[in-house]
Amino acid sequence: MTGFPLTRRDLLRRGGLLGLAVTAGGMLTACGGGDPAPAAAGGKPGGVLRVGATGGGAKDTLDPHNPVTYPDQARCLNLYEPLFTRNAKYEIEPLLGESLTPSADAKVWTLKIRSGLTFHNGKTVDADDVIFSLRRILDPKQPGIGATGLAMIDGGALKRVDATTVEIPLKYAYSVLDDQLAQYMMGIVPVGFDLTKPVGTGPFAFKDFAAGGRSTFTRFDNYWRDKALPDELVIIDFPDDTAKVNALLSGQIDCLDNLPTSQMDVVKAAGAQVLISETASWTPFTMRVDSAPFDDVRVRQAFRLIVDRPQMVAQALNGQGRIGNDMYAPFDPAYASELPQRHQDLDQAKSLLKSAGHESMTVELVTSSGIGSGAVEAAQLFAEQAKGAGVTVQIRNTDSATFYGKDYLSWPFAQDYWFTRSYLPQVANGSLSTSSFNETHWNDPGFVDLIGRAQRELDKGKRTDLLKQAQKIEYDTGGHIIWGFKNQVDAYSAKVTGFVPDRNMPLSSYGFRSVSVST
Amino acid sequence: MNGSWSRAFRVSLRYPRTWAGLVLTGVIAVVALLGPLLAPHGPNDIVGRPYAKPGGKAAFGTDYLGQDVLSRLLEGGFSVLVTAVLATVLGMVVGVVAGLVAGYAKGWLDEVIMRLTDVVLAFPQIVLALVLLTVAGPQQWLIIVIVGLSHAPRVARLTRGMTTTLATREFIQSAEAMGEPRGRIMFGELLPNMSGPLLAELGLRLTYSIGLVASIGFLGFVADPRAADWGMMINENRLALLVQPWAILAPVIAIAVLTVGTNLVADGIAAAAANADQNEEASA
Amino acid sequence: MSRSAPEPGRAWTKWLLRRLGLAALTLWLISIVVFLATNALGDPARAILGRSATPERLAALQARLHMDQSIVERYFSWLGGVFTGDLGESLTGGGSVGALIGPRIANSAVLVLIAAVVIIPVAGFLAIVAARRHGKRTDSLIQVIMLAVAALPEFVIGILLVALLSTTVFRILPSVSLSAGGPPWTNVQAMVLPVLTLVLAVVPYVSRILRASLIEVLESDYVEMARLKGLPEGLAVRRHALANAVVPAIQVMALQLAWLAGGIVVVENVFQYQGIGMTLVDAVRNRDLPVVQALALLIAAVYVVVNLIADVLTILVTPRLRTAVR
Repeated sequence: MTGFPLTRRDLLRRGGLLGLAVTAGGMLTACGGGDPAPAAAGGKPGGVLRVGATGGGAKDTLDPHNPVTYPDQARCLNLYEPLFTRNAKYEIEPLLGESLTPSADAKVWTLKIRSGLTFHNGKTVDADDVIFSLRRILDPKQPGIGATGLAMIDGGALKRVDATTVEIPLKYAYSVLDDQLAQYMMGIVPVGFDLTKPVGTGPFAFKDFAAGGRSTFTRFDNYWRDKALPDELVIIDFPDDTAKVNALLSGQIDCLDNLPTSQMDVVKAAGAQVLISETASWTPFTMRVDSAPFDDVRVRQAFRLIVDRPQMVAQALNGQGRIGNDMYAPFDPAYASELPQRHQDLDQAKSLLKSAGHESMTVELVTSSGIGSGAVEAAQLFAEQAKGAGVTVQIRNTDSATFYGKDYLSWPFAQDYWFTRSYLPQVANGSLSTSSFNETHWNDPGFVDLIGRAQRELDKGKRTDLLKQAQKIEYDTGGHIIWGFKNQVDAYSAKVTGFVPDRNMPLSSYGFRSVSVST
Repeated sequence: MNGSWSRAFRVSLRYPRTWAGLVLTGVIAVVALLGPLLAPHGPNDIVGRPYAKPGGKAAFGTDYLGQDVLSRLLEGGFSVLVTAVLATVLGMVVGVVAGLVAGYAKGWLDEVIMRLTDVVLAFPQIVLALVLLTVAGPQQWLIIVIVGLSHAPRVARLTRGMTTTLATREFIQSAEAMGEPRGRIMFGELLPNMSGPLLAELGLRLTYSIGLVASIGFLGFVADPRAADWGMMINENRLALLVQPWAILAPVIAIAVLTVGTNLVADGIAAAAANADQNEEASA
Repeated sequence: MSRSAPEPGRAWTKWLLRRLGLAALTLWLISIVVFLATNALGDPARAILGRSATPERLAALQARLHMDQSIVERYFSWLGGVFTGDLGESLTGGGSVGALIGPRIANSAVLVLIAAVVIIPVAGFLAIVAARRHGKRTDSLIQVIMLAVAALPEFVIGILLVALLSTTVFRILPSVSLSAGGPPWTNVQAMVLPVLTLVLAVVPYVSRILRASLIEVLESDYVEMARLKGLPEGLAVRRHALANAVVPAIQVMALQLAWLAGGIVVVENVFQYQGIGMTLVDAVRNRDLPVVQALALLIAAVYVVVNLIADVLTILVTPRLRTAVR
């Protein structure tokens, strides 16, 4: 039993895009219908789509601003819609919003929303609903998980200009507000939202819901884009992988997210389809740069040379991934792809360890199946690979609650999991002393200086140059061992068409609207 | 004292099922003890892609990480056997001592011990296992203690029952009259006279221990995730039942043969002990 | 434990009262162990808040959970709640524990009862067949199969059944219990595998014990007498042997029912059956202490109560014991 693949901290991570990034300052406008749905040729309307979603339990919620697990996300993405969204290529697109225009100092933004949108209960979407939703997320008494990401917004000063225009004043200049508003936990709900009768603008409307069990949604016929194909959507929790795969094989569900890679052949042999999406999600080893023995840069460098990256991808990810080069955010245009790929070099590692006075050493590696699939496997492989350099790795396998408990972010040598993200938002989340999740305690003065300059730099070429210099520092001396990037693997039965690979979230970012089921 | 135990065992050898059980148990015990010397690969060597079918370097195929199933099977019996045996011994020792004391001392001590066994029996062991192993982490000694203590109450009740019956017998009465110390009466006189039933109970408890240890592994409580261990192999390769069934069937069969074997031996000893009782009653 | 029982009626009442008192004492001791063990899981406030545990939020939540009180105070307020039917609030689900576990208890109860209803005739049938062919080949065959099945941990039985009947060899039964809608037991097909697993896990024990007591009775004097009187064998078995095997049957069924209350934890997890077992594992992982406490106490109570009923029934069906009761 692999336990719960998504942890409390994952959600904080997804929501916690702390604002420092300055990437595409300026105006972002909707063009045309803004419908990113793939052309599902021949998609037939009707039928019931039954979805197996990984995880879930008694904590399940329909709260648009507090989705925790994969089932929560699947439900929220079909009930509610945010102002902006990310498409399959991980680019930002407008959704309920139409445009977002900054003032000259980027401290006041003007949001235009689409006109003529209606909620499931027939009410028209109004600027007041947007203000209500943003304040609901920011509510200090019960903040949504996206609250940290919107910390720059001055919630009290939000102003309705007219029925489709909202003025958003910020506490400090911030240039990628659209990035924050495109998070899936930023859904827009009507004023006076009642969680027992949840109402949104999504392609499916609420029918029933049981925490830890199944929930049902019906097609929303007044949906503003192309109506959903299935008449009904059923989302079922599966905390257990075996049961999930068995349910697909025995025809009890039509699709599932997070197929264990070992089951790909089984699923194919049974006539079902596997959906593989390249992502930039990573499961690094994290070495605390301020604690022995990893405060010695030579030990960190040696450990990075110990890893056999192709073996990691082949064995821990069952080949479903790409090797990494100790740098994150490979989809970012500024990614330092010119730095040479690092390979296993045990002799070099041994001599580095010798010069650091650790000819034979023993370290404890803390892992947990709660980190995500492949984490414990990678830890085991690392322990075996480290033998070659005279390093004894003792693995401590903890449960999720222990790993992410009070000692999280203090483990000297552990692992972690990060979703796809571009470079500056990732730095803001994990590589600065102010970051919420700086597992390696990374605080390099030169690095901090480069990042600060990059944030103020509006010229794209110059900024890219600064970011590449920052990546070089992490590549040479950082505390992460980034051995690979994991593919997202999902599965669907032969009865189903319309899923496409998506860099953002599982099962075409849970886009069940364009999926058709034949009966 | 040794005499009565070996005699109880020798008598059971008249039953074919004891022999069958001994052979099955013996085969698995040999595999478990000598296996590590025979394994073609190290338990953590990567010999192929994950869940490769049998053939080539891996006669039983590979597991979830590309390790050799055969080598891990040969390596993995030792910890199951040792854990189960230690847990059984712990449970038997605690249970027998508690039962002897309760049955012989009687009075308030008897009451206290019996109430304690009530509590342990009624306490859902799976909850205790889940909670303790979650708190302390899956430590081998803790698994031994949990499994062992879960056996103790039933052993204690069995022992107490026999003790109260035996205590009324003449030879105990006369030993008491001669002023023999109570400790010597309990362990020197009473205990040897229970050798048959207790030996049968030992076999039964061993059978349950193996299953319990495997179940704890199945629930995901694993001390060292790298070590080969039959119970753990079932857990870690659970997904492979359809892909590479040997990864899970090999340890399942090993555990099944072992438990069937110990069960048969226990059955044979129990039958021998029951017959001995009847003979004794007939001659009395 | 007085042996002077002049009047059977009063002795019987006395025995019953003592037995009830012991059951209550056992449950009380268990409540202490449950409370201490669950509190060892650590500070639930910290576990709930996780990364968002600012000192103020931590203090506020600890106060709400009464973590600022001493453990003795908390124990007695919890125990008081148990008696008034207030099991507290689930730390993760938000609602009351009673509302959360109520339907799960019903689901598990249905599963256990269906299994029990199947187990009794199956085990009885196997025991009678084996006992009547005592020492012959049919008996040995049944005994070997029972020994082998009994040797398999229940999760292994479950996995093998899924492979056999649901996903590989035959695809005739659903493998999980969830997708039906409504309570899981309304989907009859989905109940087959969990029930079958429990039946296979329990039948060997029950049938072996029944067989042993049947053989004992069949070889006893009065069945021999009945035979000598010319009663046909079948009648002898039905009339005498079965009646005298009722007591061990009650005891072993009680033991197995009590075992089922805890044993379904693993089976429910294999089949994703929404009962107390799945809820319990979920609650331990989430450190949802009130739910763990309530379920642990419940499973213990089932054990104690079932055994109590079995003891009372045993006395009632055995006239000899009813008068000899101390």
